[in-house]
Amino acid sequence: MAKPDTDPARRLPLTPAVFHVLLALADGERHGYAIMQEVAASTEGRIKMGPGTLYGTIKRLLESELIEESEERPDPHLDDERRRYYRLSGVGEQVVRAEARRYADIVAVARGKKLIGKTALFSLPGGGL
Amino acid sequence: MKMDARDHEFRFSQGVYERLLLAYPARHRAAYGAAMAQLFRDQCRDAWTEAQAWGLLKLWRRILPDLASTSVRERLAALKERKTMTEKLASLFAFRIAPISAFFRLFALVFLAVFLASVVITFILPESYASTARIQVEPDAPVAGGPSPAYVPYDPYFVQTTFEIMQSQRVLEPVVDKLKLNAVWGKKYYAGQTLQTADTIEILKQRLQLAPVKNTTLIAITVYSDNKSEAAQIANAVAESYQQYREASRAELAAQGLKVLSDQSAVQEQQIRESQAALVDLQKKYQISENSKPTTDTQPYWEAKQNLEQLVASHQLLLAKIEEQKLDMHLPKSSLAQITDLAVPGRAPVRPNKTVDIILGAIAGIFLATTIAGALALWSALIGTRARKAAVPV
Repeated sequence: MAKPDTDPARRLPLTPAVFHVLLALADGERHGYAIMQEVAASTEGRIKMGPGTLYGTIKRLLESELIEESEERPDPHLDDERRRYYRLSGVGEQVVRAEARRYADIVAVARGKKLIGKTALFSLPGGGL
Repeated sequence: MKMDARDHEFRFSQGVYERLLLAYPARHRAAYGAAMAQLFRDQCRDAWTEAQAWGLLKLWRRILPDLASTSVRERLAALKERKTMTEKLASLFAFRIAPISAFFRLFALVFLAVFLASVVITFILPESYASTARIQVEPDAPVAGGPSPAYVPYDPYFVQTTFEIMQSQRVLEPVVDKLKLNAVWGKKYYAGQTLQTADTIEILKQRLQLAPVKNTTLIAITVYSDNKSEAAQIANAVAESYQQYREASRAELAAQGLKVLSDQSAVQEQQIRESQAALVDLQKKYQISENSKPTTDTQPYWEAKQNLEQLVASHQLLLAKIEEQKLDMHLPKSSLAQITDLAVPGRAPVRPNKTVDIILGAIAGIFLATTIAGALALWSALIGTRARKAAVPV
């Protein structure tokens, strides 16, 4: 397999599903169910990822080395050891930051054009994952 | 009771979902199937907590489209991966070694394969011997009673016509009969079953090659066979059969010419008899004796007498021609088809020509190896370049 490009800018734009998963992992490593819950919580329940979408996205993120599977468990006594945990890779963190900045720039432009107010909530496109 | 109902619904939903996971490719199931089933169980629990059975129904309403779309996507991705594997396999050399080196390796591989195949085929092919008889052929002279025999009109189709006659049933059937080819070839090639003459002639035609000898009136009759003696015998038999055919044709033509002359003679004889009778009548009418002199009154008699004399003279000429023709038919003369060279058994097989075949195999090997190795090396180099340039899709 060819080595993935390490320049974050060349990975952009990300698809909504990918961005949501990367955002969910920005706080730390999570397993699939936790990622799904985090995405649902951050979007106020508008986005509920199915297993197919979630693990398809995880598969592609692993292949492109934006995330990696964690060997460690936060607390084996508190969780099912069979669960697989994922975390952002170094490149993944750069990419999600770059994508967030890109969205911020877009929001700034939209504010400049008075399309949204200063208090408008940042809402991601592609709510129907 | 509530717990039992939940367990039942859970087990049912999970069972169905686990079966539906078969829609995903095996590799994807192996990597993520258990995790997906686990996530589904977690979602079932949440859904039940939220709205019990109704919650499960709502979950299924979300899960089914998700499963349908993502399974198709993973299937397509698996196909793409398979294509990538093929490309990797095809470009095995290019990804690991330099294109030039890949080219020479492939070249050597293809060349050796083609060359060895040509050598093996050359040595397993049955040997075939060729024998050639040569025959001089002349066009037929005009029939008696026609234009002067010295004048033979040019026939541009003469050689082609001769070839066709040599391959005709009339020429080849005597060959088949003489050499008993129905039985010989039946025994040799058809497990002892006697062949029909028509079938034998077809086989014989396939083994027969006719060619004009340049700037001569000679025709080369070449016969191919796996038996060198048989090839020579057949070639000579074809030449002899054609010669006999031409002699028989000539005799037929001469007989036909003689008949025409004889018919003309009979007609003239009848005319002479009638003229003689008419002359006798005129002699009586004009009372002409042996000492009578021609006068104006007896002019018709003398004209009739002159005509009769001319007719008799012409008839005598015709009779002389008939006698000449009869004599000519019985005199020995040069044949219109003269065998100049009898076929002899060949010393070495002509097919396969091992040297030529091996050289051709080497040439074909170089051509194919250059084409295939060049194309694959180029293709591999392009794929390698594209793969290096492409960003990993997310």
